Amino acid sequence: MDPMSAETPTPQEFAAMKAALQAAEARLRSILETVPDAMIIIDERGRVESLSTTAERLFGYAADEMVGRDIKMLMPTPHREQHDGYLKRYLTTGERRIIGIGRVVVGQRKDGTTFPMHLTVGELRSADRHYFTGFIRDLTDQQLAEARLTELQSEVTHMSRFTALGEMASTLAHEINQPLTAITNYLKGSRRLLERMKGEQASMLREAVGKAADQALRAGDIIRRLREFVARGESERRVESLAKLVEDASTLALIGARENGVEVSFRLDATADLVLADRIQIQQVLVNLIRNAIEVMVETSEHRELEIATVASGEETVEVSVADTGPGLAPEVAAQLFQPFVTTKRKGMGLGLSICRTIVEAHGGRIWVDPRPGGGTVFRFTLRAAKLEEPSLVE
Amino acid sequence: MSNSQVVHVIDDDAAVRQSLAFLLKAAGFAVRVHDSATAFLKVLPVAQAGCIVTDVRMPEIDGLELQRRLRARKVGVPVIVITGHGDVALAVEAMKAGAADFIEKPFDDEVLLGAIRSALARRVQDTRDEARLAAIRARLERLSAREREVLDRVVAGKPNKIIAHELGISPRTVEVYRANVMTKMQADSLSDLVRMVLLCDETA
Repeated sequence: MDPMSAETPTPQEFAAMKAALQAAEARLRSILETVPDAMIIIDERGRVESLSTTAERLFGYAADEMVGRDIKMLMPTPHREQHDGYLKRYLTTGERRIIGIGRVVVGQRKDGTTFPMHLTVGELRSADRHYFTGFIRDLTDQQLAEARLTELQSEVTHMSRFTALGEMASTLAHEINQPLTAITNYLKGSRRLLERMKGEQASMLREAVGKAADQALRAGDIIRRLREFVARGESERRVESLAKLVEDASTLALIGARENGVEVSFRLDATADLVLADRIQIQQVLVNLIRNAIEVMVETSEHRELEIATVASGEETVEVSVADTGPGLAPEVAAQLFQPFVTTKRKGMGLGLSICRTIVEAHGGRIWVDPRPGGGTVFRFTLRAAKLEEPSLVE
Repeated sequence: MSNSQVVHVIDDDAAVRQSLAFLLKAAGFAVRVHDSATAFLKVLPVAQAGCIVTDVRMPEIDGLELQRRLRARKVGVPVIVITGHGDVALAVEAMKAGAADFIEKPFDDEVLLGAIRSALARRVQDTRDEARLAAIRARLERLSAREREVLDRVVAGKPNKIIAHELGISPRTVEVYRANVMTKMQADSLSDLVRMVLLCDETA
């Protein structure tokens, strides 16, 4: 009791205070039992005063195993050793490092395993004593999901950079090949005409023109080799589950889709699941098609339905389709959609679909576009089906 | 060389088209150029048909579609298809659709001129004679089982890597088999090889 108090309470007052205290305790008890987040209250020395039922479950200790013991038992090294110091520093300096701020830390369960958690700490002063209340949210699932997403994203981004580079080289090769073909034709034609002319100068010209043509062919050869290197350099095909490929790719590609009111549905043919594919490359194709579909619907359409489907399209091929309810494609756009540097977007290099085509064709498949019945567009591509007994492709 | 027969060059790339025309004229052929298959089909009824040299990849009607339309119209003009390098699958498809030959870009002028001369002389038809067929069959018989497996897949337009996977051998080994097949079959080019195999399949 407060030593400064002028009078000792009467027995009636004492009874009322006791009842109020009991009521407060009961309220706290019920809060601790029902609060969905884990909650632990400690005193200024770091001893556990009380904890919520969720906290017991989260850390694997029963309440009586924790009450009265030091909170640092729930922390892995090095925080375990430093927690006393943390408390002392705060009590002497008042400098807040976690109180009222909250941050992600690591917790340790009774069985020694650790997990990521978000910790917010509140402070409570009662008379001359300090209490700290910790609110803990388990981040295990969330971090797993995020880590997986980051991993997927970096794989695909890396690959798409690589492929974009390859596509540039390949496009460049094709573009340069055309004038080279023309140069060669002109030179070879000139040489033929010169063969019919007489004189020393004609023979010198003939030789020079012939050599120039050889050099043009040589340049073509160099480009051909570059193109071969880029096109086939890094691809590695294995037997993959198409359902898994679609799932991974849509996890990435559908970020933000539902928030934008896009309804997504899947129709996967279980009888046509195994395909021969380079996982990352085919994911890239899917991500590209799905992102394109979402983008066009969000920009132009009220009705936003996305359907991703797979179906066996023959003994040896599986067809994958991505259908949107966008405005559809004008025929003149559709005709050259897969050419490099053709785009309907304001930003964008026009390489996405061209890369898709390169990848799909390198897989021995075909990619094309159909109008969707009822409006919109369906992109389709084929992959080679794989049988279970085929071993993975090891290079 | 018959000048009454016109070589029709169809390519959407103006420089390639015009340079081809120049080369062919220099070699003594009569040439007409068309910037698309659509343009060619429009003048087809009045065109003097000798043979057609067409790029395979073109917007709207590509080289394969052109072959289909010619066949639908029962036009028997020989078609030589020019493909980009490495478009084996496309080339095989063209051969199956009845192309007289296919040439990979960039090409040596003698290869193209030889193909045009053969096409104009309809030597493709001549290859159907029994003696030549028998010779091809005899060469096919001399292939080992593995070489035959590789050959079938090459002709199906499969890249070396896929063939390697299907046969459970390394791509380098496939290249070796492929080279052996070319030698044993006495094929000058991939198109030659494809044509031989298709010929035997048709008459088998």
